[in-house]
Amino acid sequence: MRLALAIASFVVLIVHGVVFYDQFFHRWEQHQTAYFEQARSLSKNAGERAELEARAPRIEQIIVTSFGDTHVDRCTTCHMAADDPRFAGHAQPLKAHPYSAAMGDVLRNGNWERRHKFSDFGCTVCHDGQGRGLDNFHSHGEDEFWPEPLLGYVTQPNWRKDFEPHLKGKEYMEANCAQCHTGEDFAGTPNVNRGRKLFYAMNCYGCHKIDGMSEGTLGPDLTEVGKKFKIDYLWESIVEPRANLATSFMPKFNLSDADIRALVIFLKSRRGVNFAETTLDRYKAHIANVAVVIPPGTAGEKAGEQLIADRACTACHKLRDRDGGVAPDLSYEGLIRDDAWLMDHFKSPRARIPDSIMPTFRFPEEDFTRMSAYLETLKTPPAPASPAAAYHELCERCHGEKGDGNGKVAWYIDPSPRDFTKAAFMNSKPRERFVASIQSGVPGTSMPPWGHALKDDQVNAVLDYVLQTFTKEPRRELKPHKAPQQNPVASDAPSIARGESIFLERCTGCHGRKADGKGPNSLDILPHPRNLRNSWFVDKVSDNRLFDSILYGVQGTAMPPWIDYGLSQENVGDIVNFIRSLNPKSTRSQYARN
Amino acid sequence: MTTDTEDRKAEAGVWGALRQLPANVWSSVFRNPLPSTDLERASTSFTNFFLHIHPVKVHKNTLRPAYTLGLGLISLFLFLILIVTGVLLMFYYVPSTTQAYDRMLDLRGTVAFGIFLRNMHRWSAHAMVGVVFLHMCRVFLTGAYKKPREFNWVIGVVLLLATLFLSFTGYLLPWDQLAFWAITVGTSIAGYAPLVGKQMQFVLLGDTTVGQEALLRFYVLHVAVLPAVLVLLIAIHFWRIRKDGGLSRPEPSAPPAKPVVKVRMELQKKIYGLQGFVRGPFTKVGNVPDDSVYSWPNLLMAELFVFVLTVSVILVVSLAFSAPLEQPVNVMHPPNPAKAPWYFLGLQEMVSYSAFWGGIGIPTVFALLLLLAPYIDRNPKGVGRWFARERLLANTIFLTLAVLNVIFIIIGTFFRGPNWTFVSPF
Repeated sequence: MRLALAIASFVVLIVHGVVFYDQFFHRWEQHQTAYFEQARSLSKNAGERAELEARAPRIEQIIVTSFGDTHVDRCTTCHMAADDPRFAGHAQPLKAHPYSAAMGDVLRNGNWERRHKFSDFGCTVCHDGQGRGLDNFHSHGEDEFWPEPLLGYVTQPNWRKDFEPHLKGKEYMEANCAQCHTGEDFAGTPNVNRGRKLFYAMNCYGCHKIDGMSEGTLGPDLTEVGKKFKIDYLWESIVEPRANLATSFMPKFNLSDADIRALVIFLKSRRGVNFAETTLDRYKAHIANVAVVIPPGTAGEKAGEQLIADRACTACHKLRDRDGGVAPDLSYEGLIRDDAWLMDHFKSPRARIPDSIMPTFRFPEEDFTRMSAYLETLKTPPAPASPAAAYHELCERCHGEKGDGNGKVAWYIDPSPRDFTKAAFMNSKPRERFVASIQSGVPGTSMPPWGHALKDDQVNAVLDYVLQTFTKEPRRELKPHKAPQQNPVASDAPSIARGESIFLERCTGCHGRKADGKGPNSLDILPHPRNLRNSWFVDKVSDNRLFDSILYGVQGTAMPPWIDYGLSQENVGDIVNFIRSLNPKSTRSQYARN
Repeated sequence: MTTDTEDRKAEAGVWGALRQLPANVWSSVFRNPLPSTDLERASTSFTNFFLHIHPVKVHKNTLRPAYTLGLGLISLFLFLILIVTGVLLMFYYVPSTTQAYDRMLDLRGTVAFGIFLRNMHRWSAHAMVGVVFLHMCRVFLTGAYKKPREFNWVIGVVLLLATLFLSFTGYLLPWDQLAFWAITVGTSIAGYAPLVGKQMQFVLLGDTTVGQEALLRFYVLHVAVLPAVLVLLIAIHFWRIRKDGGLSRPEPSAPPAKPVVKVRMELQKKIYGLQGFVRGPFTKVGNVPDDSVYSWPNLLMAELFVFVLTVSVILVVSLAFSAPLEQPVNVMHPPNPAKAPWYFLGLQEMVSYSAFWGGIGIPTVFALLLLLAPYIDRNPKGVGRWFARERLLANTIFLTLAVLNVIFIIIGTFFRGPNWTFVSPF
């Protein structure tokens, strides 16, 4: 007992010793002592030496009240020589802060005079970091919890390693310069200015709101984004939009590192109220109407053209040389879609393409009419010289350069564009079906009727090109299938009920309990199972094709031949009746998807 | 004897008085010399204000480390450490949403011993919650709550709840993300109570969300109201231990021998305690073979050892690990998942299954069961032994519930990731 007591007491004693040592012998005292010594040896007169002799280490601090909340900056406790030009060549922490004419410093009689005096500005107003700390780790913001690490100098340990090299550099401090220097072409903040231009040029403003700059509602509001997030998060959100939100449909923009850096710096400078404006200015910016102003008397199409440009439709769609890379090409819209289709689709995109991701915009009806009017003027058919050129111009965006259904916008389109390289599928369907799909489009999907843009021989030429270039395998003679032209089973309530019970038993794994193609297995299957509540599509498909697909399967997809699993013609007839009953023509409306 | 000494002193004159000054001051403060006889051992215990809370003699069983594990004492010493470090921290803290976090930064970076005080306070608080819980387990598993100690058990349960609440109110004070969202989650759990839930939450927060009012309320509760309640309850808890006949112990195998009482009534002057009756080097009562030993030095040494051990562990932990301080409060940016303090994570885990039953129903039933345990379990057997056979049923029920609670806390702490999905910490 006594021995244990003695040991425990000894531990207490040792810990006290360590704590006292830790609390009374600081690194910053060593830095200050070093500064006093070096300053003594550098000083030229005895008075200054005596003054230095008398100084003892102490905590130095600058209290800044002019810029936002009160800052307490104790940085000069270590960085003693920040304002001592004799230390220009020393190593940190005893290095003089550089002077620069670009920052407004003035050289008078051989002595520099600062424009931004440390006594007025402190340090963290420009540099960020944690002014109150007295050790490297905490004051430089290396602690992953600190929201403002030294801008451009410090990267925190939990930041992604591949971004780290991009996140260093003095230019990041421009985000703080812009808190006071808000001029759009202020020479000291080239990156902020470039980022602002990119924000418009890359159509960011179409989806994102920044008070006083834009009104987008699809993406997160970026008005205070610089206050909320660190630069690694901003970088990641631009480079990999889905890194933080798996369902984000923000496209990956093909930006150079310099452009991304400029955007990050611009976004970092967005902090809501900045130092240069009053709260009243901010409120005015907040309520400012940045909506499109159409000069009165503008013709419908002209106004529509302006609306389409200003509403940033090209943030997703392609129109002439502008291309958002998410949604279909609008260049031939006047040829492939009529006014009724366009208006339906504007009011509710899913009324025409049930699985579209396009948001329903709440613009005034008048705007939709004008935009439709403009799109209807786009009637100039392409003048492709060869089938390859036609494919490149019209098909490649969805079906891909290699014809594998993996075009630039394919990820955003449901049902997925057809993969022409799957010979099993391509060779199991009659040529007439492909011709019909190209000429009249596939209703309820993004495949438009190209027959209005291409002549019949051109359609056939493109089809030949596709079959020869991508499918490659020569067509074989199709084996005749015993599928009836018309459903022999009459559609009545008992038949539909039988069809439903077979459907629930056999089909829901892929097609889903709602028959919407979203069953539990659907995620792993490409092409995804068909949405059988897509009325536009189901109504177009003949009984013969449904029978054929169910009984003999769809080659090149996950749909098996159910005839092998014991389904009779009568069974399939019941299923077809059930599927048709899900898509009654009379109730087809913009809500048909439900 | 005393009169003789006083006479001698008076004779020595001024010089003599000066010469004997240190000895006189000493003996006026400590009435007894370092004890060398049983009588002096006894009188040391009850003439010293700080020691007179002890009985003169304690049963040997009380001193068996394997019986008590010293858990009650550890709780007390942790509470003392918390009071001392807490008062020191109060000199630097401001319960204001605009200043609290800056004060934390100052404590961490600039104030001498600031970070160390905060670490000690933080880790002692966590340790106290754990140790008080273990203390309760010890008392239950040794059947120590039985007659006549029923009400002291009830006070003990209230003390456990008060400790939890004290720790919970302290959790908000750093005003960082960890604090803000833990309290948001914790008070939301209170909001699930039927009828009065929302009102209770509002009274606690002084607002509909955690803000300045909540910070002020939690501060006052944390530094004034709850510590006062705890001090009072601890005093009653200790007083009742004495009045209930000391710590629980097994029944003696042989009946106690008849006590010998021999008092010589020779009053020479007014006396202020029974001690005045006693003459000679021995106490005149309780000299029977009853397995008890003198508190001085046996109990005192044990207490000192537990104290030094507790302090040294807390010191070492505080030196090695810093109390967490996350980013300043950002009301718009909740962490995912937002977690309550660890001792409420069992509740939060249950809340994730059912808000009412997990947050209010089951905890209330638990608390009532604990409070009523000594009145439900009237079986007088099995007192003073760990896991007594006669108490198999009671111990099994208690252990099951306690272990279940611990498992829920472990799941909530280590196995829950974003959106409260199951994640593996390995």
